[in-house]
Amino acid sequence: MIRYIQGNGILHRAHPFTPFTLAGAVVVLAFALPAPIGPLVLCSLMILLPVIEGVGVIVRTAGLLALPFWIFLFGIHGWLGGDPLTALKVAARLTSLIFVFLTVVVSVHPGRFVDALVARGVPFSLVYLLSATLQAVPRLGRRAETILDAQRCRGLRVRGSPLRRARALVPLALPLVLGSLAEVDERSVALEVRGAGSTARPTPLDPPPDTPYDRIARWGLAALVALALVLRIAL
Amino acid sequence: MQLNRVLPLSPRHLALVPLAVGINIAMGQFAEATALPVFLDTIGTVLVAALAGPVAAVVTGIVSQTVRTLVSGNSTLLPFVTIQIVVALYAGLAAKVGVFASLGRTAIAGLVLGLLAGTMAWPISLFLFGGVTGGGITVFTATLRTLGLPLNLAVFISSLTNDLLDKTLTFLLIRAVLTSLPQRMAARFPLAQRALGRAG
Repeated sequence: MIRYIQGNGILHRAHPFTPFTLAGAVVVLAFALPAPIGPLVLCSLMILLPVIEGVGVIVRTAGLLALPFWIFLFGIHGWLGGDPLTALKVAARLTSLIFVFLTVVVSVHPGRFVDALVARGVPFSLVYLLSATLQAVPRLGRRAETILDAQRCRGLRVRGSPLRRARALVPLALPLVLGSLAEVDERSVALEVRGAGSTARPTPLDPPPDTPYDRIARWGLAALVALALVLRIAL
Repeated sequence: MQLNRVLPLSPRHLALVPLAVGINIAMGQFAEATALPVFLDTIGTVLVAALAGPVAAVVTGIVSQTVRTLVSGNSTLLPFVTIQIVVALYAGLAAKVGVFASLGRTAIAGLVLGLLAGTMAWPISLFLFGGVTGGGITVFTATLRTLGLPLNLAVFISSLTNDLLDKTLTFLLIRAVLTSLPQRMAARFPLAQRALGRAG
């Protein structure tokens, strides 16, 4: 699971919306720039991005995520399809996306992102859904591991024929789902008690500053995307 | 009580959605442990559809795919949010007509959803990612290509096969959950009884 990494790079210091705007812009540029040169240049820049940002440790993770795509794309399009250029084009696009998303996710503190959303007047329910889900995912992942270990200790066999393996899912899924449902009451009471029903706009405790540099960067990225789209349509 | 003007979710449903998303993602560990060629990443979405209706299920599906992308760093997952929405709407409708009443009906409804999801997923996979989305499904696509099938057909068959199995298993597991709900818990989610065909 990917987590925030402390740092002092440009993306770490920027308003949380700026890195996500960068990720969005890269998604559009990866498909709008003329292939294969455009995606290849973009891919090279995005591979450098985590290093520049000071989160070079994720290069290995991103590389491992991207590697199967390169292998399968060159296998399917290059080796079997005789079209290595398509493989190169798609692989460069996907690698750009993987590197930019990973860099952004490890560079933006979830708490700062939530504060930025609150400061912008995003409704409490949306902010709660995002923050509560980000907390619930690792917790339920650990619970799934515990259930798997516990059921194996009780003699559950998760290997064998496909039917046996499918049946093994029942004693694994039931404790996970029923255990989670048992939490719903407690959580819903907590939500009501803490004024979740209020439509008043909450005040963020420490909203991240949205500097003129951030706004210029976001508008610049938007202009770059618009230019790439116009050129793509015109040429 | 409605929470606000944007999301028509009660506090109970708002509390349920993050847990359902967690279930969607955690079920992947069980799929991996059993080495079955399935994702099981829509179980939480179908569960919410059966317990809270299609609106909460659609929210679950969207949040689920977004958070999965964020925590895995794999941005290729994001376009498949459309499949989550289709699953949520279909499961909501299926629960409304009580398909979870019997094993046979549940399995058929799961197969139909698999057909729908597979038919919708393969163009995303083919046109955005060249038919490569990582994991076992791509190995199957590559195998079909080796056998001489054209790429679009290979992607379609592998996507369809995976979704037929995945969605049928998902529906059967949700039926197992619904029939195992303790009475006290079932009383908190009246729609569960309707999904099991026990109430009008």
